[in-house]
Amino acid sequence: MRIKLIYWIGFLWIFLIIFRIEAIINYALLLPAFFGLMFNNINTAMSLVNFQFIDSIFSFIIIILIPFIIVISYKKKNFLNKQIRFSEAVIILLLFVFILTPLIAASNPGFSKDLSVTKLLSPFSKVKIIHLKSTEKYKDSDSKYFLNLRDKIIKPSFDESIIFADSINAGDKFFYYQKNVRKELPPNSIKTVDGREMITDKIFLLGTDEFGRDIFSRLIYGTRISLLVGLASVIVAFLIGVLLGFIAGYTGGIIDVILNRFTELFLSFPSIYLIILILALFGNSLFTVIFVLGISGWMSLFKIVKSEVVSLKHKDFIASAKLLGMKKRLLLFKEILPCIIVPVTVNLIFLFSAVVLAEAALSYLGLGTGTLYPSWGSMINSGQDYITKAWWMIVFPGISLIATLFAVNSYGRKLRFINSSDND
Amino acid sequence: MNLKTPFSFLIIIIFIFFSACDSQNHKTENRVVIGISADVQTFNPLFAFSVDEGVITELLYLSLFDFRWNNEKGELDSYPMLAERWEWAPDSSHLKIFLRKDAFWTDGEQITSADVVFSFDVFSDPVVQSRMYGNFRNLYFDNENHINIKKTFTIISPYELQVNFPPSSIPSLDDLSSPVLPQHYLEKINREELATSESNLNPVSNGAYKLTGWDKNQAITLSADTNSFLFKDGMIAQLVFKIIPDYTSRILQLKKGELDMLELVKVEDVDEIKQVEDLRVTALSGREYDYIGWNNIDPVAYGKGKIIPNELFGNSRIRKALTFAVNRKEILEEYLQNYGQLAVTSVSPIFKSAYNNDIKPYDFNVDKAKDILTSEGWKDNNHDGVLEKDGNDFRFTLYYPAGNPLRDFASTVIRNNLKAVGIEMDVQTMELNTFIDNLVDKKMDAWMAAWYIPIPVDLKNYWYSDLEATPRNFVSYQNKEVDKIIERLETKISGEKRNELIKKFQAIIHEDEPVTFLYWTPDICAYNKKIKNINITPLGAIMHCWEWTFNQ
Amino acid sequence: MRKEFGKTFIKRFLSSLLTLYLLVSFLFIIIRLSPGDPTNKYVSSQLSPDLAKKISASFKLNEPVSDQYVAFLVNVIQGDWGTSYNYHQPVLRVVWQYFSFTFVFALLSFIIQLIFSFYLTIFIVNKRNRLLDKIVSDMSLIVYSIPAFVLGVTLIYIFSVNIDLFPISGLRSLDFEGMSFTSKIFDQIHHIILPLITLSAAGIALFYRYLKDNIDVVLNQTYILHLKASGFRNKIIMTKHILPNAVRPLISVAGIELGILLGGALITEVIFGLPGMGRLTIDSILARDYPLVIGCVFTSGAVMIATNFIADLIKIKIDKRLTVELMN
Repeated sequence: MRIKLIYWIGFLWIFLIIFRIEAIINYALLLPAFFGLMFNNINTAMSLVNFQFIDSIFSFIIIILIPFIIVISYKKKNFLNKQIRFSEAVIILLLFVFILTPLIAASNPGFSKDLSVTKLLSPFSKVKIIHLKSTEKYKDSDSKYFLNLRDKIIKPSFDESIIFADSINAGDKFFYYQKNVRKELPPNSIKTVDGREMITDKIFLLGTDEFGRDIFSRLIYGTRISLLVGLASVIVAFLIGVLLGFIAGYTGGIIDVILNRFTELFLSFPSIYLIILILALFGNSLFTVIFVLGISGWMSLFKIVKSEVVSLKHKDFIASAKLLGMKKRLLLFKEILPCIIVPVTVNLIFLFSAVVLAEAALSYLGLGTGTLYPSWGSMINSGQDYITKAWWMIVFPGISLIATLFAVNSYGRKLRFINSSDND
Repeated sequence: MNLKTPFSFLIIIIFIFFSACDSQNHKTENRVVIGISADVQTFNPLFAFSVDEGVITELLYLSLFDFRWNNEKGELDSYPMLAERWEWAPDSSHLKIFLRKDAFWTDGEQITSADVVFSFDVFSDPVVQSRMYGNFRNLYFDNENHINIKKTFTIISPYELQVNFPPSSIPSLDDLSSPVLPQHYLEKINREELATSESNLNPVSNGAYKLTGWDKNQAITLSADTNSFLFKDGMIAQLVFKIIPDYTSRILQLKKGELDMLELVKVEDVDEIKQVEDLRVTALSGREYDYIGWNNIDPVAYGKGKIIPNELFGNSRIRKALTFAVNRKEILEEYLQNYGQLAVTSVSPIFKSAYNNDIKPYDFNVDKAKDILTSEGWKDNNHDGVLEKDGNDFRFTLYYPAGNPLRDFASTVIRNNLKAVGIEMDVQTMELNTFIDNLVDKKMDAWMAAWYIPIPVDLKNYWYSDLEATPRNFVSYQNKEVDKIIERLETKISGEKRNELIKKFQAIIHEDEPVTFLYWTPDICAYNKKIKNINITPLGAIMHCWEWTFNQ
Repeated sequence: MRKEFGKTFIKRFLSSLLTLYLLVSFLFIIIRLSPGDPTNKYVSSQLSPDLAKKISASFKLNEPVSDQYVAFLVNVIQGDWGTSYNYHQPVLRVVWQYFSFTFVFALLSFIIQLIFSFYLTIFIVNKRNRLLDKIVSDMSLIVYSIPAFVLGVTLIYIFSVNIDLFPISGLRSLDFEGMSFTSKIFDQIHHIILPLITLSAAGIALFYRYLKDNIDVVLNQTYILHLKASGFRNKIIMTKHILPNAVRPLISVAGIELGILLGGALITEVIFGLPGMGRLTIDSILARDYPLVIGCVFTSGAVMIATNFIADLIKIKIDKRLTVELMN
């Protein structure tokens, strides 16, 4: 079952536009508002720039640019006409989600309110939201307009101006029910639109967890963590493996022997224990996790690079390049890299899937990157306690994990076959 | 190969299903199965450091006295156990103890005064490093906190002994509450090697129950000792502690009926458990409270040996503002579903006579918090949402040990609450051991943790100004008035005066608010209604098991 | 021939020893490097400072590192791995208790993995059905992609919670002692099935892939066609020529897999509450029980090195046999 790459990207793009049209319009308004602010008061503007702001703007830019990119590439190369399989489609979807996270996620992954109503809801559950007349938060500020707009886009992790309720009873007095407890609100405290109270519905696509947090949003943000850790660790492993491999292959002699032993040492470690040991001893931050996972995977890269370098070392063109006085580093880049790029890539892909799995396992054991950003593994870990009450807490991150690993492994296999058949 | 393969598969499948059907429920009568989370490492009360080890060794080994919780007064009452009766000297300078003559060890030997003296000797021996080392009070000690046996104990006969107290002390039966160990069994072992001795796994005990089975990592079986003086008909014949590391498994087995009793049940499971016909649920709170620790002194200066007030939290008004800003009720309602109660000070409401009911807690009040902060000079001049003073933002990191969902939730609520008043709080979880190290070294500005309070009330170890002598005073709170109260409590005063002083202490603490007291967390216990005569008190659920019987 | 084999044997053996030595040293270094004072937990805060210092000193963590290192190595060789801080028992004894379980469990799983993957491969190869081949191929990749904790939790949910077919955790029932012999066996099997499935699934998928790919490669080689043309029966071609060649690369993978299994199936043990090396190692790491940590990691590492070594030897032997066969 195949589909043209361009159709798939187009489909994802249209899907997103349709469902997030409101947000996209708000983004479109935000940019000029920001520039307007910069004009008036550049200091305030600068202080309001933070990671989330840049992230959102970036997503907006990307989604606007996608159609242009497609049209341009379509004309130049035929690469977008390629037929892709299921695994590649999944990978494209993951990249999509990774880049456009703020746009896709429905709410802040840490947003939690009115637990009695929102916790442990099944997928497609609907709750009512009562909007309160809140005091103007940014009354005194000159960047009022911008800030209000920003809050609509960059979802905060709390909001005092809304209340979740199971059902409403609006008559002379305004009652609302939270899990069979009846509460009352003074009549003037509710925001009105055209004379009627502003009460909207919210649908939790994939349900909520034990803190009433939207599983869908957490899943989306979790993609970032899993992919980020995977990518970063792979890069670390790549740098270490290639560097050491080059040194060992090129210099040879004692250094080669030492590095060989070193590699064997690492290979025979029960790596998962080593990872846990280091994380337990030195703390588990995002950085440590990436570093430790990268260190556990460079060995096979080392072997590949070393064997290639050794075999190439004796070839003529290297000798002539050396005679011409080419520096070692240039040698590495210009001559050796192209030869090793394919087997290394295959290896990196498998390493990537192993790292994503390892990160999930670590999060599952509670040694992940911390509670700030959700990770699929930690979601499964929390879901374990609720397995009888809320199967969705485990099923959705589980499926995402399996799908990701499957797609990556599948793609790696295909690549390997192409590679080996080329060699024959 | 082609013929054999499916055949062998068939055999294996049949085998598997047969095994599934064959294991019926071998339900034995007269047995209570209790679920615990980890195996024990020792059966010797000297080294019973974990809670489960404590519970089991208390069932195995008796003490001189039996302490029961008096719910009306909120204190401990003492009853005879190995001591049949006792006589206080009129000036409390010594206590005569008369031991029962019908108390035996599981190997048949009688319990004598020599055993009692030996126990105190070993428990306080620094070389042994027992659980109770350093915790003895009001006795004669040598310079290493070892009880001076010669001065303290006078053996009058195998069943009569006298305990002598130093003139300046105010002794009570509580000072002699440690379990009695078998001298004849343990004295042959070199004290330095006692911790690793095999005897710890093969105990010679004297309790109503004795150890009859230990299936490592699976179950611990205690059986009623028919020779014990506590034995009576109708007693539960076997107590089985089943080791189930996974919480969900424990709950599932409880609901299925494979467990008869389970402690530490989570709040969210209570509703489902209540629906099971055979189960009863009790929720006691008042032994453990969560709090936000504000480091009263500057950690950097402390590292260099100086004590200066913390920039952010050295001021008691600021701390009060912080308490006003935190919506503790929301956490109590939303997460704990109102199991547990708000904590006002470190003195638990279970101590009914000493609890100061007149103190009004600082209810959630954002405006008041903002007012206090403004009056202390914190203003948001650059409209970035964060308060500043003298060019510094009000920004800090809250640390807490990972793995506690209540604290995960609380930290989010607290972060949001503080953001609403203009304080920026980052949250960082740490692994437990690292957290403890940082706590002891006073490296953190703010943290969230819990205290499990001792019975009876202990103020000195937590709130005394002498920081060197009070390692548990993690926030480094220092107040001379509180010191005076603590010192006064160590003198001979009446019970009424004690309660008065403790109430005064609470008032001062409330005024100073050295930490933000959050809530007393509930200890929820579920048990099968077939168990009769079970009395769940703040001391614990699994106590006095020899009084439990079955409903007919 | 023999002499060559002997030389390789000795070379490999020495190299394994060297790796073992480096492993131990590395453990020593990394634990010394870690922040925090491990003796904190084991020295009561009530002790006077002098006595506290004395007891701290008994852990010998204050002596110069080189002295500690030498003492450490000597102890390890002599078999004195110290006393566990947590268990208050000799490390060797604690490790042995948990290792015996892991050994049996891992071996069982390994055998199951080999048998199942082997029969599955033979079955698929004989069937020669492209659709079936593709389906099984994709399924195996999916199974391989399922993390152990997802699989384990799902199995528990389906078979223990919903359909009450298997117990949720533990090794045996409470009434184990009172059971008849056959009941005892059934009880053990009953408890170990779900963990075994969880542990073996990925391995079966992995072995199947390897075996199948290798067989496919060999099947397409010319000398097989020669043999077929010469009239040899399929079965004989399969057993005498294809299989040995296909199995060869599998040996190193199998060796690594066995090594990992013997190191302790961490996640499976945690989920099902089994008393194995995996849980012991993790618990000791988290509890900073350094003697035990070293004992555990060293055991897992040594076992891994040993299985690799044996796998290498087997590979060499088979290589030699094949070359002899082909020459005939």
